[in-house]
Amino acid sequence: MLHIHNASVYFQGRDSKPVRALDRVSLEIPTGAIVVALGASGCGKSTLLNAIAGFLPLSEGSITLKGHPVSGPGADRGVVFQKDTLLPWRSVLDNVALGLDFAGVAKAEGRAKAAELLRLVGLRDFSRAAPYELSGGMRQRINIARALATDPAILLMDEPFGALDSLTREHMQELLISIWRKTHKTIFLITHSIDEALSLGTEIVVMSPRPGRIVARHAVDYVKRFADGEEWRTIKTDPAFVRLREDIRGLIHSSERPEISEPRFAAQ
Amino acid sequence: MTDVASESAAPLASESPPKIVEMRAVALGGGKTAVISVVTIAVLLGLWELVAGLRLVPPLFLPTPSEVATQFVAVYQDGYANATLSEHLGASLFRISTAAFIALALAIPIGLAMGLNRWAKGIFDPPIEFYWPLPPLAYLPLMIIWLGIGETSKITLLSLAMFAPICLSAQAGVRGVPLERVNAALSLGATRWQLFRHIILPSALPEILTGLRIALGVGWGTLVAAELIASTRGIGYMIMSASNFLATDVVFVGIVVIAAWAFVFSYALRWLETVLVPWRGKE
Repeated sequence: MLHIHNASVYFQGRDSKPVRALDRVSLEIPTGAIVVALGASGCGKSTLLNAIAGFLPLSEGSITLKGHPVSGPGADRGVVFQKDTLLPWRSVLDNVALGLDFAGVAKAEGRAKAAELLRLVGLRDFSRAAPYELSGGMRQRINIARALATDPAILLMDEPFGALDSLTREHMQELLISIWRKTHKTIFLITHSIDEALSLGTEIVVMSPRPGRIVARHAVDYVKRFADGEEWRTIKTDPAFVRLREDIRGLIHSSERPEISEPRFAAQ
Repeated sequence: MTDVASESAAPLASESPPKIVEMRAVALGGGKTAVISVVTIAVLLGLWELVAGLRLVPPLFLPTPSEVATQFVAVYQDGYANATLSEHLGASLFRISTAAFIALALAIPIGLAMGLNRWAKGIFDPPIEFYWPLPPLAYLPLMIIWLGIGETSKITLLSLAMFAPICLSAQAGVRGVPLERVNAALSLGATRWQLFRHIILPSALPEILTGLRIALGVGWGTLVAAELIASTRGIGYMIMSASNFLATDVVFVGIVVIAAWAFVFSYALRWLETVLVPWRGKE
């Protein structure tokens, strides 16, 4: 459904030398999949997401969504950021309806759709609250509801749970899985947590920095097993799960060669 | 088995009320200061009455508070320097509010445009950067030469003085809009106009109100100074004429009126902030 073909991104680096942030990445995201891009900071996973969202043009290569080339941001790709992007001057309900307002949907109809989505994320009773009255986890649930409101073809999530404490994070992961089961949304999510990637992804794409590229792909079914009722305890102690986690950890650590000779503090 | 839980669950009511504690702090917390402030004002007024009443200072230089109060009533009823107190005050308030409206109407769109558009920034930056550090009184003579001694020159002067802080804060407001907020709106399908109307303008509003607050401060200062120099009516003019006749009590009346109205303006602005930007400081 979403095709990324040989995507490269160059940024202006120091000494006006171009820095390659993304190096000929090709990726296919099929309908209904949860593709998780995993890697240390600087591996280009955010760059990739920004390019899919249309916030960042590609230097080379192409991205097409349902056959149409991506040329800028649009409501066919919903985005959830790590940072809360709710509007403090709108109530929770009006925030969820923001994209519907932009699309010119009638007010009553938009609010009804928004209320339905708030129920989906378990915040039905908070529709009149102001976003700043709520906790970080609740705000992120509203961000997800808002991104779903315009019924995008794909949901892009940029470390959506990275700013949350670990308990809230686990709840949010389970919430996301239940939303995925109910809506069958296609999801592209980036994270630096191996556990999160293994728990949420139907496909895991491991990326490595300098230049940002894909170094491994794994199709996994742990999220399906959880969705079918198996408990995390048995899934996460499955020897295959443990082995894959260690493999990926080794891969990420080996690709993150610390450059000891880098003269970072030498210019004093 | 030792029952640990029952000990902590003992009913509080049977004992004396618990001592409520909080973390020690150096900086001032949320304690009430109103009583202290009122007492301070009373003490200062009392000292003033005492010093002036005992004639430690010649009454020509320092009238007692009660003399000022009497004079206030007199000026209010009979007027001073060819006009009643209300007429002086009306002239001043007319000037500052007209100038504030003109400044807002020009500074908000220009400031927002300067924050968004390279051409607007390039065109408006040099003149604004040139004139706004100047003290308004330095170009008052030019205003008078060009626009005459009437209302136009004073309102223009005030508008110019109030324009810069609002314009600069509107610019800062646009620059402070988080990129993620803009991107989120774009990925929800916002058009350019919707982005401006629903994201950028409200995001910049708190900064614009801060700018207005600064502008009103500058405005009062400029207004009174301009009236001192070139005017036939207004609170500043009243103070100036009174000082020419060493009517110190009338000077005090003028000062009190200005202080009271400046307070009213700043209070109204604070109220406006709680109505327009209730989220301020809570994000």
